[in-house]
Amino acid sequence: MKKILKWVGIVVVCLIVIGFLAFLYLIPPFDLLPREAFSKPHADAVASSLEKIEDPVERSLAQRGQYIMSYSDCSDCHTPQGDQGPNWNEFLAGGAKFELKQYGTSYSRNLTPDGETGLTRRKDEDVKRVLRSGVFHDGRFFPPTTMPWTSFSNMTEEDRHALVVYLRHIKPVKHKVPEWSPMSSDAPYLFFPYDYAEHEKK
Amino acid sequence: MKILFQADCKFLAAWLWTVVSALAISAPADRQTSSQTAVGKTIYEVHCAPCHGVNGKGDGIASALLNPRPRNFTTGIFKFRSTESGSLPTDEDLTATINSGLHGTSMPDWAPFIKGDSLKEVIDYVKTFSPRFQKDKPRPIRVETADPFSASSVASGKKVYAKLQCADCHGTDGAGTGAVAKDFQDEWNFETNAVNLTEPWTFRGGATARDIYVRLRTGVDGTPMPSYAGAVSDKEMWNLANYVVSMARKPAWNMNENELREFYAKLEAQAKADPVQRGKYLVRTIGCAGCHSRYTEDLRIIEGSQLSGGLTFDLYPFGKYVTRNLTSDKETGLGNWTDQEIKRAFTQGISRDGRKFLPFPMPWAALAALKEDDQNAIVAYLRTVPAVSHKIPDPDKPNIFAYVWGKFKMLVLKEQIPTPVYPMKEADDQDKPVSQNPSGAEKNFAVRVDRAKEVRP
Repeated sequence: MKKILKWVGIVVVCLIVIGFLAFLYLIPPFDLLPREAFSKPHADAVASSLEKIEDPVERSLAQRGQYIMSYSDCSDCHTPQGDQGPNWNEFLAGGAKFELKQYGTSYSRNLTPDGETGLTRRKDEDVKRVLRSGVFHDGRFFPPTTMPWTSFSNMTEEDRHALVVYLRHIKPVKHKVPEWSPMSSDAPYLFFPYDYAEHEKK
Repeated sequence: MKILFQADCKFLAAWLWTVVSALAISAPADRQTSSQTAVGKTIYEVHCAPCHGVNGKGDGIASALLNPRPRNFTTGIFKFRSTESGSLPTDEDLTATINSGLHGTSMPDWAPFIKGDSLKEVIDYVKTFSPRFQKDKPRPIRVETADPFSASSVASGKKVYAKLQCADCHGTDGAGTGAVAKDFQDEWNFETNAVNLTEPWTFRGGATARDIYVRLRTGVDGTPMPSYAGAVSDKEMWNLANYVVSMARKPAWNMNENELREFYAKLEAQAKADPVQRGKYLVRTIGCAGCHSRYTEDLRIIEGSQLSGGLTFDLYPFGKYVTRNLTSDKETGLGNWTDQEIKRAFTQGISRDGRKFLPFPMPWAALAALKEDDQNAIVAYLRTVPAVSHKIPDPDKPNIFAYVWGKFKMLVLKEQIPTPVYPMKEADDQDKPVSQNPSGAEKNFAVRVDRAKEVRP
């Protein structure tokens, strides 16, 4: 009797261990889920209602911007990640951390129209300059290795305008994102690798 | 050694920052002449070198995907001048370019950031790249009194437009789609196109009648746009400039509801009529080449490798993935894929052989939002990309034990797992499995993306 109990115990423990390993193997279930499980939440989050915009011109521009936003995948970096994938309730609220040696640590910005922490603080022209030239409102250049502005700079000015109009009409989220910090608190930003100039001479 | 290196870095950076914040922002009054080039150099290397390159060759880290490309200063050819064709620009020309930027390009308006003496010193430094500035002197043109904008002037300008055969390149409607304007290359062998004359907000050198007159008279050096000085009279050039001003259409931000609807319908019709052009626009703005390219070790895209793949993503514990070759090459690229297979790959994340992509870093879940026409347009454009033979190794997946152990570390031990991106070496080791080519694991180019850990106030 005792022997049987012992064997049952061993089998149960083995099953639990194997089950746990199988769970580890299959989580996250990238291969098991249908492909729509990834594209649908994104599409739903982008398709926030623009119907309540009263001005028909603004609405039309915002819809164009919405489409550009949907395929440009800004939310890949600008939507905060929770434990279960992107936190779609805080769409475009920013906060992803990028550590680039030699460039410092930067965080994706809050793109929602929040007055204190979001894009409302920036003028249209400043937002467009970031998308066009990778230059922030304070004149700081940032490398295209994090935010791919060199691609967005190929956009026509009219599409860029539509995109900015769209960003002005999404749901505001209060989410303070830390400022960019250089390599350490006392050392500032370097715009290209330290040995870049050396490399050029060769 | 590493500590030394970092200390060096910090020192240099601190020095740069002090100098730049002291000069670029506040611009103090007196300085020694000997230090001036150094000041201009510093500002140049901080603000200009990312695109124009440290040596002024127009090959900075951000240059490869820009269109048009950043100017190469070493050739001494400048497009936007108020000087005779082939001549050097004046300091005022360079000042105007830096202050207001070049519309329709990535060159921003630096006026809010680089001011006063700093601006002069940057210009002096830019002029050191080409020996032409030592030998030649700019030969400024003298702009005679303008012919004011009037209906009669526009009407005679239209005749000049026909006489000079502007429509060959710029099109009869001025939309830049003339019969000749295909596969244009500029002096630096980069793609260029005839400007769309109906969109004055993209005119690089300004959109007033005077600006256009100056362009007509001086030409745009390095491009197929010649100078028309001598070919027609001064008055005719003014008339033509007025005609070009009259061609302007309303920009989208000034349109009313109906105009906007018609405008977007027109864009859609154009996209359908010319899917390759639309696909090119989409591929460029989405930035496919940002990942589907090979990088040098200093993070610059290797010229000519655009869209041919080769960047390695180490997605621990899922394995190492190399971006695929998207060119029309039959062996190694998409040449043998059907349209449906290409579309399925970039909208559903399923490869030709049925392999499923991870939901990152390839953003197929977002590209699923593309309309059917736009998907077809992207395929149509990818078919026209010149073939580059570049074999991409298959994903290097870990064995089952390493994989489960990696998951255990991630989910149970909650270890922070960096996601480095390796620029692949240009050397001939590209056919080796990726595991034997961890180029850059010890380098300083690793990008660490840490999404789970967020800082909240």
